[in-house]
Amino acid sequence: MLNMLQRFFLLIVMVCVLAACRRGGEPALVLAVGGAPSELAFWEQVLADFSEQAGIRAELRRQPTDSDQRRQGLLIALKARQQDPDVFLMDVVWLSQFAASNWLYPLDDLAGADFDPSVFFTRVLNLVDRQSGALVALPVYIDGGLLYYRKDLLAEYGFSGPPRTWDELLEQGAKVQAGERSRNPGFWGFVWQGAQYEGLICNFLEFAASGGGGIYRDGGFILSSPANERALSLMRSLIHEKRISPPSTYTQMKEEDVRTTFQSGNALFERNWPYAWPLHQQDGSPVAGKTGIAALPHFPDGQPVSTLGGWHIGVSRYSDMPQQAWELVKYLTSHRVQKRMALELGWNPGRSDLYRDPQVLEEMPHFAELRSIFSYAEARPMLPYYSQISAIVQRHLNAALATRSRPEQALRAAQAEIERVTARYRIESEKSDHEFHERHEFFGEKN
Amino acid sequence: MKLTHDKRAAALFILPLLLTVGVFILVPVLGTVANSFLRDVTFLPERYIGLANYRALLNDGAFWQSLRFTCLFTLVSVPLELIFGMIFALILNQALPGRGVLRVAVLIPWAIPAAISGRAFELIYNYSYGLANYLLQNLGLADEPVNWLGTGWGAFFSLVVADGWKTTPFIAIILLAGLSAIPEELHQQARVDRAHFLQRFWRITLPLLKPVLVVALLFRTVQALRIFDVIFVLTGGGPGGATNALSLYGYQYFVSGDFGYGSAISVVLFALALVFALLYVRASRFQEEMR
Amino acid sequence: MSELWQKRLLTGLGVAVMLLFCLLPFGYMVLTSFAQQPDYLGQASFQFTLENYRAILTAESLHFLEYLRNSLIVSGVSATLAVLVASLAAYAMTRLPLPGKGLILFGVLAVSMFPPVSIVSYLFQVMNTFGLINTWPALIFPYIAWVLPLSLWILVSYFAQIPRDLDRAALIDGCSRWQILTRVVLPVAAPGIFSTLLLAFIFAFNEFMFALMLTTDYQARTIPVGIALFQGLHGQIPWGRIMAASVFTSLPVIALTLMFQRRIIQGLTRGAVKG
Repeated sequence: MLNMLQRFFLLIVMVCVLAACRRGGEPALVLAVGGAPSELAFWEQVLADFSEQAGIRAELRRQPTDSDQRRQGLLIALKARQQDPDVFLMDVVWLSQFAASNWLYPLDDLAGADFDPSVFFTRVLNLVDRQSGALVALPVYIDGGLLYYRKDLLAEYGFSGPPRTWDELLEQGAKVQAGERSRNPGFWGFVWQGAQYEGLICNFLEFAASGGGGIYRDGGFILSSPANERALSLMRSLIHEKRISPPSTYTQMKEEDVRTTFQSGNALFERNWPYAWPLHQQDGSPVAGKTGIAALPHFPDGQPVSTLGGWHIGVSRYSDMPQQAWELVKYLTSHRVQKRMALELGWNPGRSDLYRDPQVLEEMPHFAELRSIFSYAEARPMLPYYSQISAIVQRHLNAALATRSRPEQALRAAQAEIERVTARYRIESEKSDHEFHERHEFFGEKN
Repeated sequence: MKLTHDKRAAALFILPLLLTVGVFILVPVLGTVANSFLRDVTFLPERYIGLANYRALLNDGAFWQSLRFTCLFTLVSVPLELIFGMIFALILNQALPGRGVLRVAVLIPWAIPAAISGRAFELIYNYSYGLANYLLQNLGLADEPVNWLGTGWGAFFSLVVADGWKTTPFIAIILLAGLSAIPEELHQQARVDRAHFLQRFWRITLPLLKPVLVVALLFRTVQALRIFDVIFVLTGGGPGGATNALSLYGYQYFVSGDFGYGSAISVVLFALALVFALLYVRASRFQEEMR
Repeated sequence: MSELWQKRLLTGLGVAVMLLFCLLPFGYMVLTSFAQQPDYLGQASFQFTLENYRAILTAESLHFLEYLRNSLIVSGVSATLAVLVASLAAYAMTRLPLPGKGLILFGVLAVSMFPPVSIVSYLFQVMNTFGLINTWPALIFPYIAWVLPLSLWILVSYFAQIPRDLDRAALIDGCSRWQILTRVVLPVAAPGIFSTLLLAFIFAFNEFMFALMLTTDYQARTIPVGIALFQGLHGQIPWGRIMAASVFTSLPVIALTLMFQRRIIQGLTRGAVKG
């Protein structure tokens, strides 16, 4: 009997030892990225090229697409002060948290004199990549909300161009929808992202800030305001009163549902990110050649706003090879690689010089328009506890869209809940805490 | 001397269990409990704060909402699954032609990982081209497509069905294992006594199945309280937080870097599961039967 | 109506409901796996294609077969070890003098109620210390612990039903406790052991959180996480491929069920133990 048990334990020990032996070898740079197989294949290739050129061994850590899961993977490694990953991509909304947690290597310390940050969108660098004055990340891929519209339908119904104000959008949407319904009962005037997820915040911010509203300004939350109430009422009435947006808006409308609805010819207007453009234009798409892009509409007293999205690259504070990591960052944000990314994946580079590149413009003519749209970019609150805020705001906005609460009620409740929940993250009372003095600057005012 | 030998055997037999569970579950669980008393936020210095996380929970409306949802979901879905699981098990236990095929058919839903079946139901509930609306409209039950996940109750029952699809087979298999252990002689005896098959079920099958039934109930309750994957994929907690289960709520804090608060939510979930488990174990007098 | 007919009618009805409930969504998945576009129930029409299966089986960038291999190995090994450990413990609990049996049984259940997300960062650190991240053992050990409570409870309730007379007889014949377990109790409990094994296997097969955090690529990643990786950056979901992958993935489980089916019958017909 003992014999058998001993053998059993021996087996376990052997498995452990064997597994441990499989590891090891010389250290390598590890880059953590997530995405679809084609995207990962792209990164793998780029990394292989980098290894060959720079003579630095580099490996890919594959993460899923879901951004929560990606963040959790990084969080666990960084909290445990792991040497790997050395370099990783971050969603723009994680930047303040990562910076405030002191996980990002200040790039100014690594960059030589030859590094020129002006090739990137300056507005983006200032809004998000500089935290307390230090450059902690660089934009690899930037995103902003746009309005897609059906050129053919607008012309058919006698409209000269895309709407500039929300009222115009309502008018055009209602007229075209009423006309098209006779042919296509599943036709909608305007599709956008209203499900309970981060995309809802992006959409809300565009509605709200295009009329003077917003979430956070000058160190305070401004959710409960007339401008926001007007924006949320408009979003709600698109679904329930004007009925030019489908009822599924607040349940399932995320990027892809919105894109496929528009792409199958079932919508006049679409709010989406630039990634939808090449897909709309691809062979076999019913809307190929009939689609235009424009800045999103605004309220009469405002101007268009595009929520800033995208992914930024940074170096881990715990990296065992920061200088090599910086080489990789430089390589991945180089003109060549960024151009390749634009051409192969259709992603919008963080370098502004590529939007003037003749070859890029020839293949992606919409880049010319994107450049101006990105200049309307508005960032979501750059706070280390942004995700708590986002979860609260999402929930209340979604409840209002689902008519479970009234807009002003939802906004007031969201504001109150934010104040209450985030109180424990505000550390005014700890100013005396010397060791902590440095970090506390990340709170309060941005810029 | 015999007894001491047995004692040593007992210790040796139980040791692998205690080691594995101890190292891979108990220690991290204790760590989480300890963490719930800390302000463990990635961007703030770590600090002992006593019960502050728990006090914050008391004032957190979203927490109460998710607690309510979690309990309600468990209380509705588990009994439903148990009833259907019992029916499935009784059918599978009969000498029907093609029994093997039936068993495979029942196991398939459970074999598909929740992360994937959640996706399948996402497609089924799709507003414009999902199976549910297709059937509803083509069977003439409704003219307009239904926005399944659009209302609190709609989303609730959509989740009950999607979760039940996966877990009813689990119950069925556990109960089937219990059924196959009931000696045929008992049934034959009852048949001689001319008992109706429903009476036989109540008088013989059900009482003998009780220990297994409790196991099924216990595990399903614990799983239902912890429900995560299906909601994560299907509703993400919406609409308006109506289906934000406790585990999802805790996850949101773990992801956002507030480990202390997330731990406190985990501990509450744990305590809740513990209460349910204690109730069942007491009701079943499981320990007596073990002796 | 005679009792026999009542019973037949009820059974027939039950079979119909059961098959509809279990197979309708699965049939839909199968259909979608052969469709070019997932919206064939809407305005589009159904176009048959084998492309999705071709893609998952041949496209190297998807690594589908590697994920499947990892899943089978990790779940198979951990289910087997877990059932072994649980059998030992269940035997001790039902047959041997052991202080605090109820406490152990309940304690094991209790700790397993913890949400996986709260313990995954600890496991990450442990596995990292031993250099096990992205290896099979990184998943096998937590999975054993993960499926142990379920296995233990089922087996205890099983073993409790097996008459103690068998043990006594074997003890008189001079068998050790280990021999009693392997030669007497396990064969008698074979149907229970195998259904437990199957449940444990599927339990491990379905696990998502640990697999996500403790592995980094296709060398050790399992199917649920692997399929989650099919999704595009903006949530583009390749429905056809996901469904093809799911259908293909369920094949080993179908095979296992058929095997387990034979085993149950085998176990029941081992005449000597019936009494």
